[in-house]
Amino acid sequence: MGKVQIYEPFKGGLPPVIPYFSDVWRRREFISAYSRSELRAQNFGSFFGQLWLILNPLILAFVYYLLITVIGGDTGSERFAHLTAGLFLFYFITNSMMAGSKSITSGGKLVLNSAFPRLILPISATVISFFKFLPTFFILGFMHLILGLPIGPELFYLFPVLLASIIFALGTAIITSILNVYFRDTKNFLPYFTRAWLYLSPVLYTAEQLKPALKPISYLNPLYTFIGSWTDILIKGVAPTVANFVTMFSWAIVLLLIAVFMFMRREREFALRI
Amino acid sequence: MLFESEAHKEGQVAISVRKLNLIYKTTVQKKPTFRQALTRTGRKIRTVNALTDLNLEIPYGSVLGVIGANGAGKSSLMRVVAGIVPPTAGRVEVYGQVSTLLSLGVGFNSRLTGRENVILGGLAAGLTKSEIEDQFSAIADFADIGEAIDSPMKTYSAGMYSRLAFAVAVVVEPDVLIVDEALSTGDAKFKKKSLEKIKTLRGENRAIILVSHALATIKEICNDVIWLDKGKIVMRGNPDEVVAAYKESLQVAKSSSADEDL
Repeated sequence: MGKVQIYEPFKGGLPPVIPYFSDVWRRREFISAYSRSELRAQNFGSFFGQLWLILNPLILAFVYYLLITVIGGDTGSERFAHLTAGLFLFYFITNSMMAGSKSITSGGKLVLNSAFPRLILPISATVISFFKFLPTFFILGFMHLILGLPIGPELFYLFPVLLASIIFALGTAIITSILNVYFRDTKNFLPYFTRAWLYLSPVLYTAEQLKPALKPISYLNPLYTFIGSWTDILIKGVAPTVANFVTMFSWAIVLLLIAVFMFMRREREFALRI
Repeated sequence: MLFESEAHKEGQVAISVRKLNLIYKTTVQKKPTFRQALTRTGRKIRTVNALTDLNLEIPYGSVLGVIGANGAGKSSLMRVVAGIVPPTAGRVEVYGQVSTLLSLGVGFNSRLTGRENVILGGLAAGLTKSEIEDQFSAIADFADIGEAIDSPMKTYSAGMYSRLAFAVAVVVEPDVLIVDEALSTGDAKFKKKSLEKIKTLRGENRAIILVSHALATIKEICNDVIWLDKGKIVMRGNPDEVVAAYKESLQVAKSSSADEDL
């Protein structure tokens, strides 16, 4: 009889989990094709085109060089390097949140007219943000050499930190994508939320500079460990502790599991809410 | 046995819908906001009984027309059959590959080109990239929009949109084809072309569902018609009889205006 598709009410609010994820996996070509098309479209028509992927972080780094070294008169290279490295990672996570928040609502026509696991939309949003983050590695590498920052085997710890950051970014993108379907104001609030988050994270200052009275922030704010570990490896050549890794991966994995669970329970309503 | 999985015999069940109910709640306000969610003002929950205890069996070889007033549940039924919206109760079984053309699914991202939208739409629907690329030139030929295929879709006219969407749905040659209101845009030439295409698809072992307000088209190409009203089937059967009964209920029997559009 060929393949039979059966549509019934979801049991317990969740679609069957294993077929759902194999469906997501089958759509991986969608995720990669969508990310590439979207990146191209975002710079379509601009003079520099795809070059903006590298120009954006480069100009950002230059602006902070102006602020810290030229205006601030800070001749030490450490503060500038810390800020740039921290900012790039911070923007990767918050860009995923921003892109995630619009992923379902702006995919409206597709959501209304095709049957597919909606999870691929916030996943694509995270992949797009990651592609925008990748070119910053060239800038960081270049900066590393120019400023004479430590080079050693500790740099390999960047990979697990990055992996935890990607999982965390995906979790935040999925949560904001659900929120924005129900509260369209989410995308308006997000820029202010991320700005406050930036000031609460050790980007503009280092983790050690925080007043002891404000120390509890570092336990409540997951980015404290992510950005702290990231910049410690890059600037000081210090490997993260086991406790740091446990903190990062616990945040990332728990957040992702909660996000995916919420998403799968809710996504059946998306077509009716758009 | 292996090869039989691809071929369908006329009369074999393509879609079976049993005791289907679709109920959804919606706030009357179109775009819900935090403020209203917090203050609970200006917020009214409306329960929509889109489909009620609906039973329907569609065999292969049939071209089913679906008619009914706006809000009768036509699009809801199509969305459930296509697996886009899960039913509240009941069961839908679809034997075969479904292609949908529900209020123009292609062109979801107007900043992307027509080509990209076609590829992404196909990938989202579960086709592989090579399957889409094999069919792409046939799609572009049928849509016949020239170089515009590589322009962002925000530059398209409504007619170009529907040409491309229709081309995608029919060229893929699905086992079950659902066409929802898509023939109402586009010029006379393209309407004729798409009507011809549906007729050629009709002869093969396929099930087609055509949702339309164009009663003349329904009469011309369908061999089975259901008339939906308030989520229930009012009448099913011979196109001439059902369309006549429907027209009578609308009291437009004397006016031919409903016949004019495809």
